[in-house]
Amino acid sequence: MEWKPDWGLRGRMVLTMFLLFALYIAFVGVMAVFFTSRLFPILVVMTLFLAAQFFFSDKLALYSMGAKEVSEQEYPRLHATVSRLAQQADLPKPKVAVADSRVPNAFATGRSRKSSAVCVTTGIMDTLTEEELEGVIAHELAHIKNRDVAVMTIASFLSTIAFLIVRWGWLFSGGRGRGNQAPVIVAIVASLVVWIVSFLLIRALSRYREFAADRGGAVITGKPSALASALLKISGEMDQVPKEDLRDQAEMNAFFVIPIKSGIVGRLFSTHPETEKRVEKLRELERELETR
Amino acid sequence: MGVFDALRQALGLAAEADATREADPEDLFGLSTAYVTMEAELDYAPAGEAALCFSGVDSTAFTDARDEVAAVLDAGESETGTAFEFRTDAHGYDWVVLADDDFEDLVTGAHFAADTMMEAGFGSRLLAAAFAFEPGRDGETAYWLYSFRRGTYYPFVPAGDRERDSAAEFKLESVLDGELDVESEKSYWYPLWPEGDVHPWGASFAATERDRETN
Repeated sequence: MEWKPDWGLRGRMVLTMFLLFALYIAFVGVMAVFFTSRLFPILVVMTLFLAAQFFFSDKLALYSMGAKEVSEQEYPRLHATVSRLAQQADLPKPKVAVADSRVPNAFATGRSRKSSAVCVTTGIMDTLTEEELEGVIAHELAHIKNRDVAVMTIASFLSTIAFLIVRWGWLFSGGRGRGNQAPVIVAIVASLVVWIVSFLLIRALSRYREFAADRGGAVITGKPSALASALLKISGEMDQVPKEDLRDQAEMNAFFVIPIKSGIVGRLFSTHPETEKRVEKLRELERELETR
Repeated sequence: MGVFDALRQALGLAAEADATREADPEDLFGLSTAYVTMEAELDYAPAGEAALCFSGVDSTAFTDARDEVAAVLDAGESETGTAFEFRTDAHGYDWVVLADDDFEDLVTGAHFAADTMMEAGFGSRLLAAAFAFEPGRDGETAYWLYSFRRGTYYPFVPAGDRERDSAAEFKLESVLDGELDVESEKSYWYPLWPEGDVHPWGASFAATERDRETN
């Protein structure tokens, strides 16, 4: 079954990645020219730290959500759903985890397809119908399939380094009155610019990948409407959830199906597109199904 | 993994591309000769039933494709006597169940149904073909599942409470590997649990047929 490709989305994704790449090249270039070896240790340590974070990302994400891997016997239906959707997506079956939380949400983790896990909250299982849950799980499998954890980790690697130089770079200025301070100041200013611009680009990239995962999920289940109604249901529920839960889970937003709303964070800063836009895109897919 | 795969992942297209990839029915016929080995060497007899599992699409074009499959199987029924029935399982997946004492007719029927689905443009929705075998002594019913997504066979022996009889599966794999194109990556051996019924597609079709005739 053929689906009309979304060239606009592809174009925006390529452009964002290209800009990010160009920015990073310029950043590395500036650093290479102005940089003294004084900042070198921070780079080595951070690289190791980020590598470790990447390596343990699956366990970390599950742990921070209080999610536990569940067996076939405990959640037979959930396992069967994941297994069949994985088969349709041609993906080895990921681990299945459940987080005991009233917030209706789901996320996928894992740096590679083999180490990946799909996690759903007890809240989402109570809220959604089986078909809607299928749509959400397919969306998460699409994230795994597209290697989104790896892509986003790589995309934000130099951004994180830049942030750390902005934050801790002064430590390497070598103290008062010792030598030329100019390189360190240039490094910090350049890092600040790179950090701000890359932050916006990474957020844009994250939103485009959400759209891509929505498409992927809809194609896997063959029911764009199921995911659409799940998104609407969750975003409606989201506003009614108590505040405490929201704060606890704010850091996990980037991996959620629908991020928890926070008034301050504007559209440019959000990791996920607006629900209305996502639903509109899914509606287009649904129409395409009927008018093929 | 090739450069092309990496590029598709980087652009977020991998999920869409693989979920819509055409079915690969090429090696489905492997079992129409391999069943002899099943009987001769492993003492597993065909249970007279097979089924095709597919995930539906929310569109009228798909409903039409389903009707076409029914028409093709109807024609086949009058020719070879292969009875068939459409079913929806507890997970909302669709099945075409085929019953025939002649095993080769079962494989042909499954192939016809799959082929019709592919011609209608819904080949990518075919998940698996399942062929049931009964052991000669006591033991669990064994299945050979054909993955249309990967074009390979793999054994599945459910042993109650979501456990698999891996020893039996290992035996099936080692004896029939070569004769059948067996999936080498075990992480792709997806189960299709019977969910309390006789078969993954529900109650035994052959048995209900017999009941219907006696009533």
